[in-house]
Amino acid sequence: MSRFFQYLFDGLSSGAIYSLLALCLVVVYRGTGYLNFAQGEMSMFCTFLVWKLNDWGMPLWLAAICGMLIGYLGGATVETTLIRPVAKRSQFAVFVVAIGLFLGLNSLAGAIWGAPPQETMPSLFPNEPEDFQRIFGASWRYQSIGILVVGLVVTGLLFALFNKTRFGLAMRAVASNADSARLVGVNTGRVLAASWGLAAAIGALAGTMVAGTTGEVVPGLMFSYFVYASAAATLGGFDSLGGAVIAGLTIGVVENMAAGYAPKWIGQEMRLGVALLIILGVLLVRPTGLFGEQKVSRV
Amino acid sequence: MSEILRTHDLRAGYGLIEVLHGVNINVDAGEIVVVLGANGAGKTTMMRAISGMIPRTGVVDFLADDIAHLSAHKVTARGIAHVPQGRGTFPELTVEENLRIGAHSRRDSFAADIDYWYGVFPRLQERRLQRAGSLSGGEQQMLAIARALMSRPKLLLCDEPSLGLAPLVTRELFEVLQRLNAETGLSVLLVEQNANLALEIASRVYLLETGEIVSSGTPDEYMNNDAVRKSYLGH
Amino acid sequence: MALVTIKRNSPQHIAIRVLGVLLVAIAVLWVPTKMTTGNIDSMTNALALVIAASALNLVIGYTGLISIGHSAFFGIGSYATGVLVSKYGWGHGWSMIFGALLAFIFGFIVALPALRIKGIYLALVTLAVAVLFPTMMKWPKLEWLTNGARGISGIRYEELPSLPFLGELKGRDDRTVFFYWYAIMLVIITVLVCRGIVKSRMGRALIAIRDNEIGAEVMGVNLATTKTLVFGVSAALTSLAGSLSVARTGVVTADGANLTLIGSIVFLVVMVVGGAATITGPIIGALVYVWVDNYTRTASASGDGLIGWLFDWSAVSPASIILSVALIVLMFVAPDGVFGLVRRLARRVAVIK
Repeated sequence: MSRFFQYLFDGLSSGAIYSLLALCLVVVYRGTGYLNFAQGEMSMFCTFLVWKLNDWGMPLWLAAICGMLIGYLGGATVETTLIRPVAKRSQFAVFVVAIGLFLGLNSLAGAIWGAPPQETMPSLFPNEPEDFQRIFGASWRYQSIGILVVGLVVTGLLFALFNKTRFGLAMRAVASNADSARLVGVNTGRVLAASWGLAAAIGALAGTMVAGTTGEVVPGLMFSYFVYASAAATLGGFDSLGGAVIAGLTIGVVENMAAGYAPKWIGQEMRLGVALLIILGVLLVRPTGLFGEQKVSRV
Repeated sequence: MSEILRTHDLRAGYGLIEVLHGVNINVDAGEIVVVLGANGAGKTTMMRAISGMIPRTGVVDFLADDIAHLSAHKVTARGIAHVPQGRGTFPELTVEENLRIGAHSRRDSFAADIDYWYGVFPRLQERRLQRAGSLSGGEQQMLAIARALMSRPKLLLCDEPSLGLAPLVTRELFEVLQRLNAETGLSVLLVEQNANLALEIASRVYLLETGEIVSSGTPDEYMNNDAVRKSYLGH
Repeated sequence: MALVTIKRNSPQHIAIRVLGVLLVAIAVLWVPTKMTTGNIDSMTNALALVIAASALNLVIGYTGLISIGHSAFFGIGSYATGVLVSKYGWGHGWSMIFGALLAFIFGFIVALPALRIKGIYLALVTLAVAVLFPTMMKWPKLEWLTNGARGISGIRYEELPSLPFLGELKGRDDRTVFFYWYAIMLVIITVLVCRGIVKSRMGRALIAIRDNEIGAEVMGVNLATTKTLVFGVSAALTSLAGSLSVARTGVVTADGANLTLIGSIVFLVVMVVGGAATITGPIIGALVYVWVDNYTRTASASGDGLIGWLFDWSAVSPASIILSVALIVLMFVAPDGVFGLVRRLARRVAVIK
């Protein structure tokens, strides 16, 4: 029985990261109508910056906040200077730019900080071998609990932003009907940029937590998380924040259970396969996802 | 009477195609100006050019300020509210959220305004937490007008509000517009294709044909004009 | 306006076309005769990319469907040759044909979602396919076939067949030349197939789908068969490149560059840089890509020149950085790629009417 809870706890922790990154994808999709293929790499790059700040002596929590701010500015700038002008040409052109960002950030990070991992990354949470809690016979590390809590807090803040604030209402208005949003006085450019900025900031936080778990920062840090996040966003519906969270946690738990209970079939490699098969399955059967809507307006 | 809107040689189009070939109209404070025009005459283009939704050349003066180069969200802040053709509601937002976003350009509190509009359109209050996309055509039109007026504009642009509505609903709508105009001095620029009811509330009328204003006058003149009656009033 | 107008099929026009063919022939012959073995090998690599990018072009450039999953088809060809030749003793040629057929079927299957979903969702499906392929090849349950993570090695041509004008081939240098000609042959097949499709009724159907799917359907295009067929053909061609690569290197691993998502991205980069929706674009794109890759690799390693100076501090080959910047810049400046740019400039000088 404790095995079950162990897999559950581990699954919820990794699921929290998937949810966070999936939220980034959903925020961008709802706000601007695009899938940010470079979301994982943007997150990874910000994580490197956080590591560097910390390396220079800044306390980690402060570095993380700075990383999020830099991420916000970076994301907003990318949207304004690279995405929006190209969006007028075609959706494919935006995709190519995203691929360019993906490739560029990945190689740039590798170039600046060196391909083999030499950087060790501390964690935001207490991470000594004895820092865990026993529940139902399974051990749940403070770190994992911390990630889950942060994930839920961020989700809560996002919901509050979208549903309780003036700016959040404006963002939803732009996603619903961009022309009418202009007509009520919403600066749609600012909303578009903010969507990307917000996603990048959250991504930076997610990456910092991931690096804290693995203990190192490498260019390939977030790639598999990006795939999981895509699976979560697909399953939950690209325009549903709640769906992304539920789907992310679910995928985390399912994947962990599958790997734990059927190690011969689902080894380390095939864990990702679970997510990929989910993507394929959902897109074949119900492309809008579990909680998505039939129509999502484009900008 | 002071002039609040004036356009001169207003030109606009889509891509390489020019639709408006120099439109000159003006609206005085407190007027309800109706622009008649057939399909393709350029009515919607004209409205979008005034509110800043599309690029335009020429003069557009609002309250003696040049707004011809302002983007749409800035034009709204100046005091023009545009109810687009097809309502332009936010279908995924609730009725109340539609009204709240209507006040986006205002800095003061607007709770009283929302209550006021619920008073004018009680059906909206009944459905305040429903998604706007689930409302009927007439209710959406009411919502669109209320939303536009949440910003307390000085000039309301209405693009074919009667489109797709039953005559009874249209009459109700125009009565509301007339009441607002009489009670608050709201100026209205109204564009319509089938204009029976619009002429009843108009102060002045323009006729737009293939991107140019071809005539202007009083509502009586137009109602008594045989050619206009046949083409635009259906009888 | 152009400076010069040339009548179609006039003597001048024919002369230009003949000149073009001559130049290509000279270039093709130049490589194995005048270049060093290392460079010939690079060219062969480029030719494999030509095949893959041309195949991708059919799907993306002409039909307007997004795919970043073609590395899986490359992998099918690679593994088909690897497994059949080393484990079951098939001949290279037969393994290549089998691989192409298998890839065609898989391409067909992958295209099925494309019938129902659009744009970015299709990209996600192909992403899943691209990442799933190496995962499956390394799956312990399939190790009996694929050797799992270790890959298959020692897939060689035991004896190179002697080609008529080359005589007997022995040794490494001759081997390189042999594979160069092997690649040329495959490229010719690819170009003929692509050109044949593009110029046919199917080609017009593809472009119709790309520009306006609903309109195409109204005009009588069968969306389902057209999309699945083009995906299948594209997959089959890509698998040819995969078989070629394995025959050349003798090794196949699931993490090989062209079998993973990075491979799909490289094919895409080559296609876009060269110029989508043209036959010549992918050829130019492949040449540019390989040149940039080689040049930056050697320049940064030795610290020479501008590249060396710029990237002296970098620990990895700066080719990817340069290419990603180029990709983004191209979308602004020349979305129709290098070839498109050249063609537009050429049209200022002479136009064929």
